[in-house]
Amino acid sequence: MKKLYFAAICCLMCSLMANAQIKKPELMVFPSDEWCIRNGYFTEVDNMGTTTRIPNYKQALQEDMGLRLAIAKINDLMAERQFPLQSLEQAIKNLEQQRAEDNLTVSKQGNELAESPLDELARVAKADIILDLSWEMKDMGPKHSISYILEAKDAYTGKSIGAVSGTGAPSMTADVDVLLEEAIVANIDNFNYRLQEHFTEMQTIGREIVLDIKVFAGNERGIDLESEFGDDELTDVILRWMRQNTVSGRFSMPYASENVMNFTQVRIPVYDDYGVAIDAYAFARSLSKMLRKEPYKIPSKVLVKGLGRAVIILGEK
Amino acid sequence: MKHKMLMTAAWLLSLLMVSTAAWAGSKKKAEKDTHQFRYEITCAGNAVQGTYLVRVYSYSKKAQVAEDQCRKNAVHGVIFKGYGGGEGCVAQRPLCNTPGAETAHEEYFRSFFADGGEFQKYASIIAGTTEVTKVGKEYRVGVTVSVRKDDLRKALEAAGVVRSLNAGF
Repeated sequence: MKKLYFAAICCLMCSLMANAQIKKPELMVFPSDEWCIRNGYFTEVDNMGTTTRIPNYKQALQEDMGLRLAIAKINDLMAERQFPLQSLEQAIKNLEQQRAEDNLTVSKQGNELAESPLDELARVAKADIILDLSWEMKDMGPKHSISYILEAKDAYTGKSIGAVSGTGAPSMTADVDVLLEEAIVANIDNFNYRLQEHFTEMQTIGREIVLDIKVFAGNERGIDLESEFGDDELTDVILRWMRQNTVSGRFSMPYASENVMNFTQVRIPVYDDYGVAIDAYAFARSLSKMLRKEPYKIPSKVLVKGLGRAVIILGEK
Repeated sequence: MKHKMLMTAAWLLSLLMVSTAAWAGSKKKAEKDTHQFRYEITCAGNAVQGTYLVRVYSYSKKAQVAEDQCRKNAVHGVIFKGYGGGEGCVAQRPLCNTPGAETAHEEYFRSFFADGGEFQKYASIIAGTTEVTKVGKEYRVGVTVSVRKDDLRKALEAAGVVRSLNAGF
């Protein structure tokens, strides 16, 4: 019987290993902030006395045919490479639909859905890699040309993955849509080359994530990052765990205090010991589980922001 | 009479052998030129989606042979060389960026670039674009070729020569 169990477990592990796929990042094309503001697609908000312009993607998608065409063309070309993009327009519609449904959802006892302010804040159109697009028509006598920038950014680290830019050949046609389409078609291969380099690097030296560790103020156990366990402070314990569990011990810690530890450029393995694909959440959960055990016994809350960013808040759930 | 006929037949046979050997020799030379990358490739303008439009210059002692080799050279250039930009053209990287890939997949490419090989499916010469110039003892033949790069990339991905964008996910 034991042999049977052992064989079954082996089969399960082999199947997991065989099907193990790195979590595929979601890509979404956004018009750049500069393009939105230049074309009047923004909303002004008063941020503690300072007026800030926030891009209004919904308005831009509803009123600018060129933007819709550019997004459709990029999506078409990426789908051809078996890497379809998430649609910004559909993401916005889904969010509105979800919000409307949540507002109307009540239990038989009349209770509404629980939602924290953080949950509300997280309800925005998001992707793991943002494709930032902007363009501008330029006139040179009777001829017109288009200047364009398409840049891929990691949504969590903010790092630029790659960009293509340039000015297309001058043309007698004034049709911005035609010039924009030509520019995208001519540049997509160079752009995909950069993306592929990024993916290859990720598969070779691990996924790059951002991890923040914070402390609940006035938590019951009075824990902070300078709490001592034997000869070590909690900071030392966490640093040791990070060195052991990152790829070749690669990470940076730009800031640390008794309340906060910020880790950037953290390279996590793409698979765990069982061959299962992991992301920032799984990595943060492993650290959280280690801290919950003896001798630390520290409860914590893990918040996740996509594949590449996680926050652990120590002291309470 | 019989002897005369035999002599004529032998003479014709030897003429045929000599001309075949000469043709095979020039063909072999052109093949050699291709394998030594004796060609230049430049952008020939913006192409329709899924293709590259390139101008290829090939060299050979026979103008016709050089023209025949242009199609092969165009595909070879798109796979291994890429080309520069300028004058409204966008520079393109080679489809195969891995150093030494041609040697690593020697068997595949030998069959791919053989006469009548698979390369033919991915290139077509644009009619009326041939330009022949004599350079020293040989001809430099320029032709504009449309290369179906999306289909070509898919074939290379299927053969395991290049990685697809979603490989590993």
